[in-house]
Amino acid sequence: MTTLLSTRGIRKNFAGIVALESVDIDVEPGERVGLIGPNGAGKTTFFNCILGVIGIDAGRVEFDGVDVSGKRVHERARLGIGRTFQRIELFPDSTVRDHLVIADRARRNERKWFSDIRLLGRPRADELGRTDEILELLGLRELADEPIERLSLGQGRLVEVGRALMTQPRLMLLDEPSSGLDRTETAALAKTLREVQEHRGFAILLVEHDIELVASFTNRSYLLDFGRMLVSGTTAEVMASSEMRHAYLGDLEVPT
Amino acid sequence: MLASIGEDLFRAVLQGAPPGTVYALVALGFVLAYKTSGIFNLAFGAQAYVSAVVFFKTHTEWGWPILPAFLLSVVILAPAVGVLLEWLVFRHLRTAPPVAGLVVAIGLTIALPAIVDIVMNFEPKTGASIEGIAPRGNNVFYDVWDIYSFSRNELVAMIVALTATVGLALLFKFTVIGLRMRAVVESPRMTELNGINADRVSTAAWALSSFFAGLAGVLIAPRFTSLAAGEFFNIVVVAIAAAAVGYLVSLPRAFLGGLGLGILIALFNTFIPKWSNDFTWLRPIQSNLTPAIPFIVLFGILVFSPKVRQTQRASDPLSGVDPPPSSQTHVATDSRRITIQRVLGTAFIVACGVVLFTRGDTVWIFLATQAVALAIVFLSITVMTGIAGHISLCQGAFAAIGAFTVFQLADRFDMPVLVAALIGAVIAAVVGALLSLPLLRLNGIWIAIATLAFAYFFNAVMVKFSWVGGSASGAAASLPVPRPVVGPWDFNNDKVFLALVLIILVVATVAVTLFGLSTTGRTLKAVRGSEVAAQSIGISPARARIIAFSVSAFVAAVGGAMLALQQKAVNYDNNFSPFGALFWLVLVVTFGARRPAGALYGAAAFGLMNKIFLEGTFVGWILRDPGRIPGFFPISPKWRFILFGLGTIQYAKHPEGVIEMTKARSAERRAKRAAKKAPPVTATPATQVEEPVS
Repeated sequence: MTTLLSTRGIRKNFAGIVALESVDIDVEPGERVGLIGPNGAGKTTFFNCILGVIGIDAGRVEFDGVDVSGKRVHERARLGIGRTFQRIELFPDSTVRDHLVIADRARRNERKWFSDIRLLGRPRADELGRTDEILELLGLRELADEPIERLSLGQGRLVEVGRALMTQPRLMLLDEPSSGLDRTETAALAKTLREVQEHRGFAILLVEHDIELVASFTNRSYLLDFGRMLVSGTTAEVMASSEMRHAYLGDLEVPT
Repeated sequence: MLASIGEDLFRAVLQGAPPGTVYALVALGFVLAYKTSGIFNLAFGAQAYVSAVVFFKTHTEWGWPILPAFLLSVVILAPAVGVLLEWLVFRHLRTAPPVAGLVVAIGLTIALPAIVDIVMNFEPKTGASIEGIAPRGNNVFYDVWDIYSFSRNELVAMIVALTATVGLALLFKFTVIGLRMRAVVESPRMTELNGINADRVSTAAWALSSFFAGLAGVLIAPRFTSLAAGEFFNIVVVAIAAAAVGYLVSLPRAFLGGLGLGILIALFNTFIPKWSNDFTWLRPIQSNLTPAIPFIVLFGILVFSPKVRQTQRASDPLSGVDPPPSSQTHVATDSRRITIQRVLGTAFIVACGVVLFTRGDTVWIFLATQAVALAIVFLSITVMTGIAGHISLCQGAFAAIGAFTVFQLADRFDMPVLVAALIGAVIAAVVGALLSLPLLRLNGIWIAIATLAFAYFFNAVMVKFSWVGGSASGAAASLPVPRPVVGPWDFNNDKVFLALVLIILVVATVAVTLFGLSTTGRTLKAVRGSEVAAQSIGISPARARIIAFSVSAFVAAVGGAMLALQQKAVNYDNNFSPFGALFWLVLVVTFGARRPAGALYGAAAFGLMNKIFLEGTFVGWILRDPGRIPGFFPISPKWRFILFGLGTIQYAKHPEGVIEMTKARSAERRAKRAAKKAPPVTATPATQVEEPVS
């Protein structure tokens, strides 16, 4: 089986400052991988490099064995990379279901003019079925016709997940999903995410500085700091490593 | 030969220096306001106009001496206007999206000249020689090097502009307020955290910037042969080009940009007539290429220089703390009410139509037809701004393409005009798509500015080609267009023609509505809502933009063709000029760009408000006797500009427009009334507002 996502020697400079220096990671199909690091470690930069939001200065990004380094953001999304946002990004003036329908139509890339006109833009029966399935999975069924302005932040994040799921991604990139949520909300989100992931079988790359969430959610992790990959291995190994302690606590001696 | 070229060069530099310094002045003031408030103040030109008019009125017409007139118009009035605008309008826009500020500034561009015209009882002057701030400034000349003779006005303008620039530099470098202004530039929020009142600093910056506007207005007025708001809007576009040289944030580079543009224009003025002896194709456009230079420069900078696209806001380290603007929730209205409203609305429109067709005289039919044709054009703004979320300032050019195509095809090939209109729309769609290509990587206000540059380029260069605007002498001459005759219907009859345009409007409205509901329309709305989120689900923003531009241009061109058919001529300057087209945007945005209704109301207001309300006809109807219309009618038609120009101010808070806002308000009131009648049992989860998301 080919590795789903692999980056080799990713390098990114911002005006002479090295933000990323030769970062390699691998994500196998269906696994949950964490990318941790303190603030300013380069996590978000790396995330944006994978997605193509910013260009890279050296290295390559391979998705499913194909070099996607030259592809644009939406093209990578079409190949099966879904994402959520740290600062939530939803479409204003639309309902929860609208979000899923638009994603579904974007994936299938079909323009049925006649049925659009006949239904005045309302979702078609097959689309209702597919969106209901995802809404059920995420526990958003009750909120299907709510405008997103009425949702809480946690629910909004789930809508983002649902929207990404509609594109049937093989890899889901989660950008600090815990930000803005308290511990109970984070735990609830993690639970839902794990259930959905086990049910659908896509891979997850979780970018997070909430160690607790990474520890409970992922099997394997990478620790990034100052643009360099410091440790990789199982999450437990990474958490126990001295580099981890150093990155988060500096030279402090931790009383044991 | 070489010596003569050298002499020409030198002369061009000397000739370009006076306007160059004034452009630099405008650019400085513009950059100052942009830097300190983040507002892209297109109303800068209008502010310059205000001072120029007051100076003209007091000095030339009322015979005040120069000094008091100058003090009143520039030193007192100009900063006062700026402070007032900052206080009433722009202060509240500091955290609004940049596009909102731009729209409001466009509204003020329309409203301010109308206000000053009414207050000062001034009518735009054409063909007059306007006095500057130097006595007999246009008539005394100095020729130092025996190459180019400066008029006294030019010299004084140069000296004053340079003095002001040096003053500004000293202020910025050495005073506390200068330091604070520089701090506010970096991050207004950070400055406030340091205990500095950013509002006060911003007010000071606006006062200063507006002083520059007024000064520039008075200094540049003698260069124009007419004192009209459109001319002053031109200079702000020139200033944007100059400011773009300094990426909109560098004051020294903005100054150099302004000076450079002045000289560049002078160079072209000197050399193009010589080249056109060798290159005949230059001949028809030689006189028009020079005014187009700033727009070409601006367009070029926008398209080819990536740095200018990074808006200043992005660099503010604390920009993330601002809450995103609240968006509108759906207005939930019960279906019975909607049905009643629809029935009543339809009945009203049908009644109006019947009265119009049976009893309307030529004037009424003319106005109604014009409004209907304009409504088609306005629908293009619904597509561009309402659905796709772009502010385009070149809808006039798109409409003009439709009109010109009808003229050309009918004139040269005797083509049926309705077919020609369709071809014109297709051509406009292609032009729109092509135009959107270089703009793909721009966003927000930059699209507005680039389209504005295109509109002025079209206005200055394209229109003058014989294969576009007809005659080589320019577009001032109106080009005759025949009305169509199809089978038994002769559309030379105005009522029959009105029926035709109405049918086209209905088709266009339905088409635009369906477009908004279709998958493509929803895709555009998704990109409008969040470009990054749209990309993340595989939507191509580039494709969305191309579609938006071509569909919008298509609709605009259909409307433009209808306007031409209605007037039986292409009156480019009256109908499609870039400055005039600003008012279109203002109208549609005020009423609401999100739905076609806004376009329809906007067109009705444009075409009929003057006749019905301002001329007092409506009061006459109520009093049942035109003879009893009170004496203060007719009111100046300029009130339209003031009303709708100021109407854009609510755009920042209510981008959905007046119509939707009123609906939401009345729905709220009904809900409150209902809540009073029946004591609330329990709040249902559906109405419970949790922590808002976006």
